[in-house]
Amino acid sequence: MRALLDRFRPARTRRSHQMEAQVNPALAAQGIGIVMEFPNGNERLRVLHGVDIEVPYGQLTMLVGPSGCGKTTLLSILSGTLSATDGVAAVMGQRLDLMGDNQLVTFRRRYIGFIFQQYNLIPTLTAAENAAIPLIANGTPWEDAVGRSSRLMEQLGLAGHTGKLPRQLSGGQQQRVAIVRALAHEPALVVCDEPTAALDAEAGQAVMGLLDEAAADSRRAVLVVTHDDRIFPFADRIVRMEDGRMAAGSQP
Amino acid sequence: MGKGLFGMIAVALKMLMGDRVKYLGLVFGIAFATLLMTQQMSIFVGLLTWGANPVLDVRQAQLWAMDPRVDQPDEGQPVSDAMLYRVRSVDGVAWAVPYFRSTATLKTVEGQLAAVTLVGVDNQSMIGLPADNLAEATQAIRGRNAMIVDRNNAYLIWPDGRDPVGQVAEINDNRVTITGTTSALTTFAGLPTVYMKFTDAIAITPPERNKLSFILLSAKPGTNIEELKARISQTTGLKVLTRDEFAAAGTQFIIDNTGIPASFGTAIFLGVLVAIVITALTLAMFIQENLKNFGALKAIGVTNSQILVMVLSQALLVGFIGYGLGIGGTAAFLTFGADSPGLRGFSLLGEIVGWSAVGVAAIVVGSALLSVRRVLRMDPAIVFRG
Repeated sequence: MRALLDRFRPARTRRSHQMEAQVNPALAAQGIGIVMEFPNGNERLRVLHGVDIEVPYGQLTMLVGPSGCGKTTLLSILSGTLSATDGVAAVMGQRLDLMGDNQLVTFRRRYIGFIFQQYNLIPTLTAAENAAIPLIANGTPWEDAVGRSSRLMEQLGLAGHTGKLPRQLSGGQQQRVAIVRALAHEPALVVCDEPTAALDAEAGQAVMGLLDEAAADSRRAVLVVTHDDRIFPFADRIVRMEDGRMAAGSQP
Repeated sequence: MGKGLFGMIAVALKMLMGDRVKYLGLVFGIAFATLLMTQQMSIFVGLLTWGANPVLDVRQAQLWAMDPRVDQPDEGQPVSDAMLYRVRSVDGVAWAVPYFRSTATLKTVEGQLAAVTLVGVDNQSMIGLPADNLAEATQAIRGRNAMIVDRNNAYLIWPDGRDPVGQVAEINDNRVTITGTTSALTTFAGLPTVYMKFTDAIAITPPERNKLSFILLSAKPGTNIEELKARISQTTGLKVLTRDEFAAAGTQFIIDNTGIPASFGTAIFLGVLVAIVITALTLAMFIQENLKNFGALKAIGVTNSQILVMVLSQALLVGFIGYGLGIGGTAAFLTFGADSPGLRGFSLLGEIVGWSAVGVAAIVVGSALLSVRRVLRMDPAIVFRG
């Protein structure tokens, strides 16, 4: 079975980074000289040109910039779902680029929470069951995991919705369930890809309020990719990107 | 892989069972395919068994001696009466008795004609009668021109369902009286089987030089059967087969000379095809529709191994339920149809249950592996790409 699974592992270009990277363990996430290239016919398309970024604990960092500038690619690399062509990506001071596939998956499961633009809730699971998935995947017994996610949902204003299916919830409520899912296992880093893109202004503000609260925890950092300027006021730091590089004047 | 695996299997099963249309589609698709495969296999095997039943019904005979040209039990080539004595004289033969088997036309008092298989059994030992109701049948057949009728197919002679015992009929203008009934195994020819003493049977059938269809015999204890067969063949020129060999020849005759294997083989193949198509397509559709969700699970930290087990669990669950329903359907069909003449003696053999289970398991696991490839290959970052 291992051989079969190996065949289907995404190809990872794991060129060892040549420079001696200075990884700062005091940061929740860090990218140093990140380069990303994708195959484009017979050529390779470079979408990140040696990007440096720092995501401190206890802050909500927003990664902003026009469509196609490489924000989501950088987010994917910092969350360990995509391997950079070159450079160093680290979370909690641990270099993702040096981890093996299984180690990386386990690391993501334990220390990273994910919030997606389209919520990605499983339609046939209740809200509480959806929110409990990271706990279940980490080996928490079903009842305990669902109980814990239900309590968290109640704390986040979703009391009475725990037993509902995603289709019975509004977009804002679904995104809040996704936030519970991202926070249930108490990760050190929460990554959010356009969390308000599918929401109206009011729901978007409510969702960002929750993320802002989550980022207030000094053991956690929240990294939000967005080009929704209505939510910029929630940011502790804003990092701007343009054409695969940090924008001039933007802090790493 | 172990940590959290059972929880993720529960997630997988909820994912599947919550999608009622695909879940029921998979279950009933597999159930239908299983029903089609096992029901057709059961009927096929049952029909083949019918070819062996004339031999299997004669339980006392260890060996059958016959004209070398005979291929199957319904095709007797009469041999000389003298052969019976020559067989008896062979060293190692415990006993040998005559056996007559031929088709005849029976005419009821109402003038209705019915084709029957007329069996003549040894006058003294009555070897050749079916085991059912043997003691009474043995007594009832002793009178002159007394006849025992297979009660299962008696309706083919007397469609009004009357009790055959006491009825009078004619075969070749010879009056016969039905004095008893028995239960014979259904034969491929499908004719009602009637039994008379050997001497009565040969007396009422058209005159021929030879009327001895088969010689039934048994070996003395301790005799090497193969050597005995060879000795009899050498002495008499007859072909000698064991009960099992001759029964197998009966089934082989059907395989070689009818379109039944092709017909049933096609139906069974279609059953397999239906199972493959329905399972593979529905699972593929299910996975395609849940691709983003699987991507999210992978991003969250669910391993490829866990995803594989999740999809296999889904496939095996629907396979198990569908197979159970299908096998249940076949069992019900054969149980409720047991009294039907067309299904008499058919049963759901353990081999069919076992092999069809292996087949369904292979289909669902194969379909799951084909369908899950895309998820296993998928980069989890796909969920960030809108």
